[in-house]
Amino acid sequence: MKSSKRKNIKSMHHKTASKAPVDLKSVRKKKRAEEIPNQPNTGMLKRREFFMLLVFTLSLFFMLYRVGFIQFVKGEEYQKKAYYTQTQKRQINPKRGTIYDRNGKGLAISASVDTVSVNPNALRSELNNDPGELQELAEGLAEILDMDAMDVMKVFNRNSRFEYVKRKIDRELGARVRNYVVQEKGIKNIYIDEDSKRYYPNGSLAAHILGFTGIDDQGLAGIELKLDATLKGMPGKIMNEVDVLGRPISFSKERYVEAVDGYDVFLTIDETIQYFTQKAIEQAALDYNLKRGAAAIVMNPNTGEVLAMASYPDFDPNHPDAKPYFVDNPEWLGFASVEDTELLWQTVFRNRAVNDTYEPGSTFKAITAAAALEEGVVTPETTVVCKPYSLAGHTINCWRAGGHGQEDFTHAVYNSCNPVFVQEALAVGIEKFYTYVRMFGFQKRTGLEISGEPTDEEYRNLWHKEPKEIDLAVTGFGQRFQISPIQLASAYCAIANGGNLMKPMLVKQISDSNGNIIQKFEPQVVRKVISEETSKTIRTILEGVVSEGTGKNAYVSGYRIAGKTGTSETLQTESEGRYVVSFAAFAPADKPEIVVLLVLDHPQVAMHLRSGGILAAPVAGKLCEDILEYLQVERQYSERDMKEMTEEVYVPSLVGLTVSEAIEKLKAYGLKYVVEGSQAEDAVVKDQTPKADFSIPQNSTVIIYTEGSPENNMVPMPDLTNKTVDEATATMKNLGLNIRIRGEGMALRQQYEPGTPLQKGEVVDVEFMLLIAD
Amino acid sequence: MKRKREYDFWLLFTVMVLLAMGVIMVFSASSYYAAYNWNNKFHFLIRQLLWSCVGLVCMFVISNIDYRRLAIISPVLMLISIVLLILVAIPGIGAKYNDARRWFNLGFTTFQPSELMKLSLIMFLSFSLAKNSGKLRFFFRGLVPYLLIVGFVDLLLLLEPHYSCAVLITLVAVVILFCAGARIFHFLAIGVPTIAAAACLVISSEYRLQRFLAFLDPFADPQGSGYQAVNSLYAIASGSIFGRGLGKSLQKYLYIPEPQNDFIFSIVAEELGFVGAFTVIVLFLLLIWRGVRISMNAPDMMGSLMAIGITSLVAIETIINIAVVTATLPVTGMPLPFISYGGTSMLFVLASMGILLNISRNSVNNFNPVRGSELLKRARQGEG
Repeated sequence: MKSSKRKNIKSMHHKTASKAPVDLKSVRKKKRAEEIPNQPNTGMLKRREFFMLLVFTLSLFFMLYRVGFIQFVKGEEYQKKAYYTQTQKRQINPKRGTIYDRNGKGLAISASVDTVSVNPNALRSELNNDPGELQELAEGLAEILDMDAMDVMKVFNRNSRFEYVKRKIDRELGARVRNYVVQEKGIKNIYIDEDSKRYYPNGSLAAHILGFTGIDDQGLAGIELKLDATLKGMPGKIMNEVDVLGRPISFSKERYVEAVDGYDVFLTIDETIQYFTQKAIEQAALDYNLKRGAAAIVMNPNTGEVLAMASYPDFDPNHPDAKPYFVDNPEWLGFASVEDTELLWQTVFRNRAVNDTYEPGSTFKAITAAAALEEGVVTPETTVVCKPYSLAGHTINCWRAGGHGQEDFTHAVYNSCNPVFVQEALAVGIEKFYTYVRMFGFQKRTGLEISGEPTDEEYRNLWHKEPKEIDLAVTGFGQRFQISPIQLASAYCAIANGGNLMKPMLVKQISDSNGNIIQKFEPQVVRKVISEETSKTIRTILEGVVSEGTGKNAYVSGYRIAGKTGTSETLQTESEGRYVVSFAAFAPADKPEIVVLLVLDHPQVAMHLRSGGILAAPVAGKLCEDILEYLQVERQYSERDMKEMTEEVYVPSLVGLTVSEAIEKLKAYGLKYVVEGSQAEDAVVKDQTPKADFSIPQNSTVIIYTEGSPENNMVPMPDLTNKTVDEATATMKNLGLNIRIRGEGMALRQQYEPGTPLQKGEVVDVEFMLLIAD
Repeated sequence: MKRKREYDFWLLFTVMVLLAMGVIMVFSASSYYAAYNWNNKFHFLIRQLLWSCVGLVCMFVISNIDYRRLAIISPVLMLISIVLLILVAIPGIGAKYNDARRWFNLGFTTFQPSELMKLSLIMFLSFSLAKNSGKLRFFFRGLVPYLLIVGFVDLLLLLEPHYSCAVLITLVAVVILFCAGARIFHFLAIGVPTIAAAACLVISSEYRLQRFLAFLDPFADPQGSGYQAVNSLYAIASGSIFGRGLGKSLQKYLYIPEPQNDFIFSIVAEELGFVGAFTVIVLFLLLIWRGVRISMNAPDMMGSLMAIGITSLVAIETIINIAVVTATLPVTGMPLPFISYGGTSMLFVLASMGILLNISRNSVNNFNPVRGSELLKRARQGEG
């Protein structure tokens, strides 16, 4: 091996030799040189020198290969990394899309603010690493921004090219910072960039639907989370090639990639209806001291659009982590504390209309009735018997002890008779009944565009796995299984609209910032569940429930409201009041435009008042009235309405008239009178109660003073609680007070506390309520 | 009869081209650094130009001095170099910079005695070996004394410390001894145990091993030990085929520390691309080829050894420099001859080119085995 190498070198050497005529002589003399011990071996010298040339050449070729390898094989990878270190990037946040209600009213708006950031490395170098100047700047900045100078210094001393100093400050404050930093100090490496901040002009309105955003404008809940990708847009950036300290280099052009604003989202929500709905459950929560809050949904049954969806307790998305009203903890930290955050998610952030499930109770009887009617096992006129029903060792009673006896099916619904619904459910049969359950959309997600709805599996787990007859029996009147409010509201839409189950909708349209429509959402029929005929029949029956049956407290004169009460007991929460009362309604009954579902969880009122008919129905009735009025649905007064309506009159001015003239006038107005003082016909009236131009019910009594004054003619307000209308009217009359009767049944609330001194003749509002156990 | 002989044209041409490239690249690489540190972006350009001119003058003067005359004073130069190396290591005399005491501060410039030592040693070895090359066949009588001299010089360099120069001087000395006829077996006998011992030393300590291995993956610590290598690789990779264009390097914006010095080749590769790097390497190849050719055609053994010494000095410096820049070897302070910025080192490189040119002028077709001193005598008598 060695010898062959030598030969090679030799032969190569010969080639060189022939090119440059070097050494015929030297080869000859080589021999002689070898003979002389101290003479140099010139052949070897040249061979070895030539060998070194080869070594150096090969080494340099290897270096050339290394350069090529770095440039062409590793090139892209290294260039990418190099680009990353050589380029400074500042992000420009896009304007987040606005969330509008169905009429284009802004519910979530992004306002322009400023964000202050710094390139700490470049800043320190800009100030020649002078800690004194840095400190001075930090103090100045901290004072304007209301920060701790130490914190600002910490940021300034970071080994970094980009840090935030303070984010999302008012533009006005931003201008002050700009003035201080740029004009006054001439600093280049502190930036005041435009940013945007989410703002919810109506506070807690639709908070659970809208959700809220975090510091980076990212959606964290509700529509803000669900449609985050649509709303957020594409961030832009300012890119600069910079030196190692982050200072832009001379020939680098600032590259500016413009931000693309997010799309606007139009919800199906109506701001006004949402407001009514939220007010209604808030008031209910206060009146009934609801231990577990409340939920309400208003939908358009014909399209499946959600017009309002409310949950209580709620929050203000402008300050999502503010301390909820029911928390006493003085060391509330909000999102800074894991426990506080957890509490928020479990309470105020919960959208009870979608996230929570409950036992629907009698409101579910509408579904049972629909199935039975559709299957033809019963007609409205079919005679049924309401008496305790025994099945598999259980006895099912009606809410009225002993039951209602023999009645037609329509009245069984009016009276919400459990035994009748057990019979009808059994008549439909297990397989068919549960098919209807599924057809109405239960046991499956509704697919509403908001996060937090239970999954199909979670829904299924809230029902009997393999239902037996007894399971079917209790399911027939809505107990021992759970559904979410949005499911029930959707099912009521199908009942109300002629039998089509609609996919509930929350988003109507998505458009870009110039108003071009990007996506429009059309109502979707999921399936036909019942026939138009059956739908019509149930509409009539449920209207009767409100006008004559257990739903009477929801009655509103002039509006044909149909609905069903619901009261369910949960077994686990006895200490908290264990009842969930609800009311599901639609109106007008002949041509429904709204479906309203109201769920009040764990009311803390007297035991005998804990029923859907007493607690939920009046709230739902009032809510329906407000909404229908707002939707400008004309009132159609029935004959009964006309009869029951007591006309109000304006009290005429009597002062200065003689007693006879005054009496004449009052008679003309349909009012009664009592004269205090001189009864002489020509005595002059000095004062009167009620005063002129007050609106009072007809047949009220006006007190006329010829002597003395109303201030000296006072009576204490009596306690009318639990008196009937007649009893209350008599009591008031005896005291010389006027009464304005609202509702029917038992007196529930009176305008003045018992014992309040009132002038004789004053009109007092008294609310009456039918005491219904379901 | 005296005959005016020609310089080796290609050598002169290569040197001039490399020098010109050096001036341009030093300016390009250093302008931002100079503006940042001296507030004058021409700081290094002016000095590089000045030293190049001084160096060129020096080169032409020396090229006119017969190398054999120079060789005679090489023992003196060697002594002076040793004294200077000792002096520079003494605190207070030598200037300290980056934890190493390698420089004399002369006020207007600094001077590295190790630069002088490189040249002195090459000349001294050539001078001595021309007389004693026959003895080199013997280990103790021939090779060992020379190795002791080299070892002594290395020891002085390690005092400063100046490891890269010690390695360089050792390698150059080995090349000279090898060409002069030392036995390969002797080198192996010394080299293999030495390398083995060094390897053991490295492996025995976890810390040293880590340091040694760090260069294999500079990206493991891009902000620390791998910083220079990583940024050098970024620069080279950014060049691609034709480069970013002259003056458009981004890595010179202080990413590469002192970009005009040891890492200038990566700036060349970044601004002029593979084409530029290729050109530089080809120019060095040309220079090395001419250098080896001159050594092979030298009129005597002394000239031949001196030529190969000087050529291998430039070659090894170039190879190590590019190897470092391409992260093929661990980072060590080795400038790229002609191109890197450097005052006195530039002067010495050009001076050595002067010697090489002078040897080329004396090239002969007939190799004269007579000893250099005798040849000189004959030259004086007009026989050359």
